[in-house]
Amino acid sequence: MISAIHTINILLPVFYFITLVVYFYDFLKGEQKLVNVKRVFLFITLFLHLIYIILRTIAFDHPPITNVFEIFTILAITISFSYFLVELVSDIRGTGPFIIILSFIFQLISSLYIQDLTEVKEVLRSNLLGIHVISALLGYSGFTISAVYGFLYLVLYKDIKLNKFGLIFNRLPNLEVLERLSLYSAIIGFIALTIAIIIGIIWLPVAFPRFSYLDPKLIGSTLVWLLYAIGITSKVVGNWRGKRLVILSITGFVVAIISTILSNFIAQSFHSFY
Amino acid sequence: MNLIAISINHRTAPVELREAVYLKEDEILPFINLAKENQIKEGLILSTCNRTEIFGIPNSNDDSHDKFQNLLLNFKSSQNINEEHFQKFVSRDAIKHLFSVATGIDSLLIGDNQVFKQVKDSFLVSEESNFSGYIMRRVFDAAIRTGKRAISETAISEGAVTVSYAAVQLTEKIFSNLSKKSALVIGAGESGEIAAKHLSEKGIGSLAVTNRTLEKAEALSRKLDAKVIPFNEFRDSIYKFDIIISATSSPEILLRKDDVKNALKKRSNNSMILMDIAVPRDIDPATKDIDYVFYHDLDSLNIIVDQNLSKRKSEIPKVEKIIEEELDNFWEWYNSLQAAPAIKDLRDFFEEIRNDEVEKNKNKFSVDDQEKLDIVTKRIINKILHHPTIELRKTDDSSTSVEASTKIGIIRDLFGIHPGKKPEKE
Repeated sequence: MISAIHTINILLPVFYFITLVVYFYDFLKGEQKLVNVKRVFLFITLFLHLIYIILRTIAFDHPPITNVFEIFTILAITISFSYFLVELVSDIRGTGPFIIILSFIFQLISSLYIQDLTEVKEVLRSNLLGIHVISALLGYSGFTISAVYGFLYLVLYKDIKLNKFGLIFNRLPNLEVLERLSLYSAIIGFIALTIAIIIGIIWLPVAFPRFSYLDPKLIGSTLVWLLYAIGITSKVVGNWRGKRLVILSITGFVVAIISTILSNFIAQSFHSFY
Repeated sequence: MNLIAISINHRTAPVELREAVYLKEDEILPFINLAKENQIKEGLILSTCNRTEIFGIPNSNDDSHDKFQNLLLNFKSSQNINEEHFQKFVSRDAIKHLFSVATGIDSLLIGDNQVFKQVKDSFLVSEESNFSGYIMRRVFDAAIRTGKRAISETAISEGAVTVSYAAVQLTEKIFSNLSKKSALVIGAGESGEIAAKHLSEKGIGSLAVTNRTLEKAEALSRKLDAKVIPFNEFRDSIYKFDIIISATSSPEILLRKDDVKNALKKRSNNSMILMDIAVPRDIDPATKDIDYVFYHDLDSLNIIVDQNLSKRKSEIPKVEKIIEEELDNFWEWYNSLQAAPAIKDLRDFFEEIRNDEVEKNKNKFSVDDQEKLDIVTKRIINKILHHPTIELRKTDDSSTSVEASTKIGIIRDLFGIHPGKKPEKE
């Protein structure tokens, strides 16, 4: 089983890369016949990835959620799976390569550094951890997708304003759809992150009696949560829309990434598991 | 095949000459009757502002393009048109030309969908006026199939190639659902009317028109079920509209940057699209600097038009391939009409000879051998005819029309088996 896991670990970035190439080729050429082909590639990749996660969970006696490189592989599959669903229900074409490239990067990093971990810190063997990690992952996947659609919105907005009617103009969905996708992903991400934070706060004093409320992870997550809270509230009650909203979403994503890097790799945080 | 076609179109004649021979709807039937009186048994008449085309199969093989040309020129009594203004086609080339017209690659506006509809309408007229026989009907079917394939298998008709349509397509890149949007068209002239029609066809939620002359605005509003806004009040109500298309002949700017800024404030920064398709411009170009305002003028819309036109041009080879495929299919069918009777005639001819000779000579054989004689002679005839039959059948599948009819002609000449004539035997 271990050798199968190692093989799939090498294969996964390759599969994501091939899928990315097919999506990118379709983006360039826009041929109708590729629509189903690319979906098949994405489906096969996701299926292989699912098998990989199940095998790892069985072989190492824990789901791959206990350190950052394990989480990256989960992030890769959740991002692509969310996109797969969006593509199926909305028939939106043209945005795939910009999402799948993120899955490819996350999986590549994970495949390079992931280890065959059988010993897990005692603190990470809590049942609450599972819910905390899964909701946090959902949250960050939502923010990632929101940021990508936000970024695409800005590019298309600029292209239309500057009369640049190239590939971006021809292939992407319209501005309102991009804005809506960015907003809905952010809302889903926000709800999930809220759950993760609540569970984290309940679990934290039990698991880490000596934690500080000034811990970089806590400050970072609160900041991210606040940014999205402001953005979503402004949209719902105020007149924030379009450009302003997507810039906020992208900012939230950047802060989330910086916060993760800071708390996991650089600063001394209780949340450093790698 | 004795199909003859003449065409006067945008490439061969200027607009005034094309107009001179244009057959109006009520002239088509009388012209078809005239053609029938002049021994043209079946055909097709297509007449639009850009082209007049006459396709027909005359009763006599001696009839030529001149007959068609004279028929048209006598009917329309046009003085300044001469031979040079006509393109002439015959047989396979005539069908190929019809396919090119139906697919829009022969149009002034490449990939024009309108002409496909006009071709279909002409087919209907031919059908209804008993001007189509079984060959023309097959030609119609093939032309319609070719037109449909060109639309579905290539991008020959994709993208806007007129400014007013480009304006509407651009709005679809900004808004997702036009049925929830409102539009104002400033100017009820030709450009304004076309733009308003496109918006209406795309299912715009609400449409309003304003024009300096109120009557013109009212006339257009009746046509498109739109509201009318008095010209001196429209500036105050632009905030109500998501899309504004301006196409007046006003020499001065009608909408200034401040007007648009104020309107945007009133509509809580909801995006606004301003399309200025007037010359000189009606809307201050500086409005494009305002956030959430998408301002486009003729120059920017022409970028879209030019891009789409060159994209359509690049699709022409794909369409030509489809045309060749459909031509081959049609020709396969047409040749089979000729080859099958030729095979039958050839076999009948040999069988008759065999039968005569067997009858004449069978008494020279014993009763037992007579049956063998019959079998052996049949076998000989089959062996002799095996190769010629296969060669003739091949003309059904792969040969060009010239090759096929040459083969069939040689066989018929060599054995004297022309249809309707009794072959001469020794």
